[in-house]
Amino acid sequence: MAALSRTVLAFALVLFALPAAAQKTLDAVKKRGELVCGVTGTVPGFSFFNAVQEWEGLDVELCRAVAAATLGSSSKVKFVRLTPQRRFEALAAGEVDMLASNATFTLQREAGLSLQIAVVNFYDGQAFVVPKSLGVKNLAALSGSGICVTAGTTHEDNLAGWFRARRLDYVPIVLLSQEAMYEAFFASRCAAVTEDSASLALAIVRRGVAADYFMLPEIISKEPLGPYVRRGDEAWLDIVRWTQYAMVEAEELEVTSANVDEQLRSNDPAVQRLLGVRAGNGKALGLDEKWAFNIVSQVGNYSESYERNVGMNSPLKFARGINALWNKGGLMYAPPMR
Amino acid sequence: MHATKRVLLSLAAASVISALPAAAQNKSTLEVVKQRGQVICGVNVGLGGFSLPDSQGKWAGLDVDMCAAVAAAVLGDATKTKFVPLSAQQRFTALQSGEIDMLVRNSTVTLERDAGLGIQFTGINFYDGQGFMVAKKSSVKKLAELADATICVAQGTTHEFNMAGYFRSRNLAIKPVVYENQEQMYQAFFGGRCDAMTQDSSALASALATRNKQADYTVLPELISKEPLGPFVRRGDDVWAAVVRWSLYAMMEGEEKGVTKANVDEQLKSSDPLVLRLLGVKEGNGKALGLDEKWAYNIIKQVGNYSESFERNVGMESPLKLQRGINALWTKGGLMYPLPLR
Repeated sequence: MAALSRTVLAFALVLFALPAAAQKTLDAVKKRGELVCGVTGTVPGFSFFNAVQEWEGLDVELCRAVAAATLGSSSKVKFVRLTPQRRFEALAAGEVDMLASNATFTLQREAGLSLQIAVVNFYDGQAFVVPKSLGVKNLAALSGSGICVTAGTTHEDNLAGWFRARRLDYVPIVLLSQEAMYEAFFASRCAAVTEDSASLALAIVRRGVAADYFMLPEIISKEPLGPYVRRGDEAWLDIVRWTQYAMVEAEELEVTSANVDEQLRSNDPAVQRLLGVRAGNGKALGLDEKWAFNIVSQVGNYSESYERNVGMNSPLKFARGINALWNKGGLMYAPPMR
Repeated sequence: MHATKRVLLSLAAASVISALPAAAQNKSTLEVVKQRGQVICGVNVGLGGFSLPDSQGKWAGLDVDMCAAVAAAVLGDATKTKFVPLSAQQRFTALQSGEIDMLVRNSTVTLERDAGLGIQFTGINFYDGQGFMVAKKSSVKKLAELADATICVAQGTTHEFNMAGYFRSRNLAIKPVVYENQEQMYQAFFGGRCDAMTQDSSALASALATRNKQADYTVLPELISKEPLGPFVRRGDDVWAAVVRWSLYAMMEGEEKGVTKANVDEQLKSSDPLVLRLLGVKEGNGKALGLDEKWAYNIIKQVGNYSESFERNVGMESPLKLQRGINALWTKGGLMYPLPLR
């Protein structure tokens, strides 16, 4: 009897909870037939309106993947350029369905701004660039070298902390502004320069010298980037979160945009679940069972998107580093899709 | 029959009304817990290392510490907890119905659980998955060294399938020895029949602890499947979800910054701005979460950082003797990555 009443109660509560957790954003997107994504728009590799008037980047492709999952077509996206000052307000006001705008996840942003962190799609942080001619492949090999850094930044503290913790020496070459720092570095006044990896990549690409420089794989601080959604819309939160995870899971299972049709005949139960051959995930998310198939078929898996936008097939040439899969030394880990 | 049904329905209705404040009236569990002065946690009935009552009825384990950390954060006292042992069948219903405030019962985070069931996951406090056990005298340290080895496995499990896939994709040959059930497999392995044995790593460690054979055997740190375990809360209560999530991250951040139970008072005078924020010397995090600014200080002072909790419950200071493996910090080759507490 106790067990039975508990079941009844749970059922009643689920019914009660439905209107509150109403699938607001998903319904709006379906009705509109278009996803509206807030992006920065000026960061090559992440979100950028390119010379041939097309949107490109890792964040842009995450938006396309959400459109593929919810609308069956990765092209049904409208991109809205938002400044860092305006972006959270625009999301809270409902001007955009989600933000994919190089925004770091922090406690006070999540807990304070009526926003919710969906998932990390790029682990950024403080990195180091060296001239290829130096032949250095990792950070420890910079021991004893001059490193350019901007005065009064957290980068300066992090740099000191990393070398001190490993009992290694280096020569700090401290410049008063970021611009002065890059000038000094490109004038060969130091062996390496340190900043957040996206900033470093931008500096190299802007100067057209990407071929001559190399970013070391170590990231020594935490700037986890990813999409934000509005608080209180769990159904939408889940869709954005599991869209990113579907791209990561596809990489892990070696399902690519090229082989996804063949993979429909895979005998691996994890692949069958991912692609909706075994139903269940789509229903749980309120989507067509083909949602993840559409993502991989139209956008690709995480590795394809990464390499094309920020990795080896892009001007940025980021190594995977901590953005590699969990079983290849990185942090990208999709919980089981079942 | 008819009467019984009516009684049942009115009982259910009464429960709905009494449970409403907690679960459905937009009143966060955070407020309920503050008023009650106690955090009610659903835990495993008894799983060494995760949640297990001792002879005095005092609960201990990694999941129990997670619950204690939330009590320290919200109520300033890690002992203001009540543990409700739940079976696998009961656990999600107990959470949905408002009987417990949070569920920390070695439950795997999966898509259908996150998106359905009226619940949501808040973080991962232990990455479990299929592991391998070897005799220490074999001096095998990694999976690749198991090429051509005989490996005991239970029949018809995902373990058998995962193992075949893992070694095949690396062009390594193995000789599986298949047993009808887990118990037969354990007997065969400890009887010396195979070079290695495979199961979920926490189950392997538990089998070792139960037989008291930690001196002779070890679980290799590599995992070949994903069983991420973590705390769940009711769906739609984002204020409470944030409290639980950041309590876990505070324990990890404590480890990353070298803040321990023993040195947390000294660390109040640290020159590292991230330590000052973590401990509430620089204010802001507490206010954002609806907690006292001392919330994370209280967690570390009373429960410890993640490393302290791991080692005491499942690691080297425990009978389970699990290595950190993928549960190490991100800076040390693992997956534990606290988002920035600022």
